Amino acid sequence: MDLAISVEGVSKHFGEVEALDGVTLDVPRGSIFGLVGPNGAGKTTLIRILVGALRADSGAVQVQGVDPFTEKRRVRAHVGYMPQAPVLYGDLTSRENVAFFARGHMSSGVSEKVAAALEFADLSDAADRPVYTLSGGIQQRVSLAATLVHEPDVLFLDEPTAGIDAELRHSFWLRFRRLAGSGVTLIVSTHQMDEVAHCDRVAILRSGRILANASPTELFASGGATVRIRTGTIEHHVALLPEDLPRILREFDLDTAVTRIEAETATLEDVILGLIGSDGEERGAG
Amino acid sequence: MVTVVVAPLLLVFFVKTLFDAAVIPGFDQARYVLLFGAYIVHFLTFVLTAIVLVRERVAETLERMFVNGYRQIEIVTGYLIGYTTLATVVSILVLTEIQLLFDLGYDLHQLAAVFVVFWLLAVVSMALGILVSNSARTEGQVFPCIPLVIVPSFIFAGIIVPVDQLPMWAQVISRLSPMYYANQVLQEIVAGETLATNVGAFVALPLYGVAVLALATLTLRQQS
Repeated sequence: MDLAISVEGVSKHFGEVEALDGVTLDVPRGSIFGLVGPNGAGKTTLIRILVGALRADSGAVQVQGVDPFTEKRRVRAHVGYMPQAPVLYGDLTSRENVAFFARGHMSSGVSEKVAAALEFADLSDAADRPVYTLSGGIQQRVSLAATLVHEPDVLFLDEPTAGIDAELRHSFWLRFRRLAGSGVTLIVSTHQMDEVAHCDRVAILRSGRILANASPTELFASGGATVRIRTGTIEHHVALLPEDLPRILREFDLDTAVTRIEAETATLEDVILGLIGSDGEERGAG
Repeated sequence: MVTVVVAPLLLVFFVKTLFDAAVIPGFDQARYVLLFGAYIVHFLTFVLTAIVLVRERVAETLERMFVNGYRQIEIVTGYLIGYTTLATVVSILVLTEIQLLFDLGYDLHQLAAVFVVFWLLAVVSMALGILVSNSARTEGQVFPCIPLVIVPSFIFAGIIVPVDQLPMWAQVISRLSPMYYANQVLQEIVAGETLATNVGAFVALPLYGVAVLALATLTLRQQS
C-alpha cells in the first residue's frame, strides 16, 4: 500500500498529562482519514506532530517518507496545515492573508496560485475585504485557501468545520472529496460524529489512545442492536448482535403471544460513543 | 501611529522642562541632551517591539508562518525591515525636536552623524526587543522583562555616571545594553569626531546589533 503517513508507537506528554499514548496508524495516499474523539483526546497534538510543530517523545513518524520534525522544510513544502481556529491577520484582506502564507512556499507565481485558492474556497466576493469584517464561516474558508494555496500533497485539517453552519459544512466536505479525488491525502480531525461517514477510514481517539481504527462501514457493522420483545404485558429488552436474533426467536418459540418485535439499530454515532464510553468505564474501574 | 509620533515629542519636551529647571553650576547640557534623546529612541523602539512576536505566538500566526515555510531569519529580519519606518520616524522626531528646543550649535555633519547613531540604536533596540519577545510565551511574561532592560540601560550605560567609575559587575552589565555603545559614539561626536575619523567607536554599535540579531534568530522557537 502506498502510504502518505505512517505513525508507529507515538507517545507525547506535557508534564504529567499524557496527550498521546502509543498511537499507531497508517494513512494511504489519496484518502480521507478521520481523527475522531472528544476534546482533549489528542487529535490536535497528533496533527501538530505530523506537521513537525511538535516532537514526539517516542515512536516513529513519517510523512511522505520523511520525519516531519527533523526534516521540516522538506515536509512542509508538500503539506498544508489548517489550524483549529482561523489563524489569520485580521487587518489584512483575504487575498493578502493567502498571499502572505503562500510566500513562505514560493517566490513567483503567487498571484495566480492565490487566485486559484480563493476560487476553490468560493471567496470571490470576500477576497478584498479585511478578515476581521468577515463571519466565522468565511474566515474558515480563507484559512482553507491559505492552507492549500501551494497545492500540497497532504492536508492536515484540524476541526475544519467547527463553528460553521450545516450548509457550509456540506460544501467543505464536497471540496475535501474533490481534493482526495485528485490524489491529495487529507487528515481531518473532528468531534462531529456524523462527519465520520465522509471519511475512507477513521481512528477514534480518547485520552491519547486509539480505541478503533477502521472504515466507517466496519465501525457501523460492529455496532449492536436492542430488540424489544413484548409477550402479553411483559416487555423484554434484549441487546444482541444481529446474528443472535434467530436464536432469541427460537428461545421465545415465536407464537401468537408475540405481538411485536422492534429492532433499533445503533447509529455510527452510537457505536463511537459506546466505544468511548466503555473505555471511560474501564479506566474508572481500573 | 499616534503613540509613535506623540510619545517621542512629549518625552523630549519633558527633558527640556527638566533641564531648564536644573540650574546646576557647570551642568553641561550639550553632553546630556543627546544621551537623553538616544535613551528616548532606545526606550520607545525596544518597548514597541518587545511584544510583537509574543502576540504572533499567542495568536498562533507564528506557528502558521513556520508551517508555511518561513524561516527564523526571514521572520526576524522581516520584522526589522517592517519596523525600519518606525526607527526612522522616531529618530527624526527626537533629533529635530532636540535641535529646535536646545541650542546645541552642531553643524550638518555632526547632525547627520547623530541621526545615523540614533537610527542604528533604534534598529538595534528593535532587535533586542525581538530577542526579549522570543523568550516569552505570553504578553504577561514580557512586561516584567522590559524594566530589566530599560532601567540598567539608563543607570549603567554612562548617561549619569561614567561607566569606568562603576563597579566591575555593573561595567559588565553596561556592555549588554546598546545604550553603552551609542553613548560611546555620541561622546565622540560631541568631542568633534566624525564617523570617518574614529571608526572603532562607530563600529561597535552595529556589531552589537548583528550579535543580537543572530541571537534573536537562533532563539526564535516555533513551539507555542
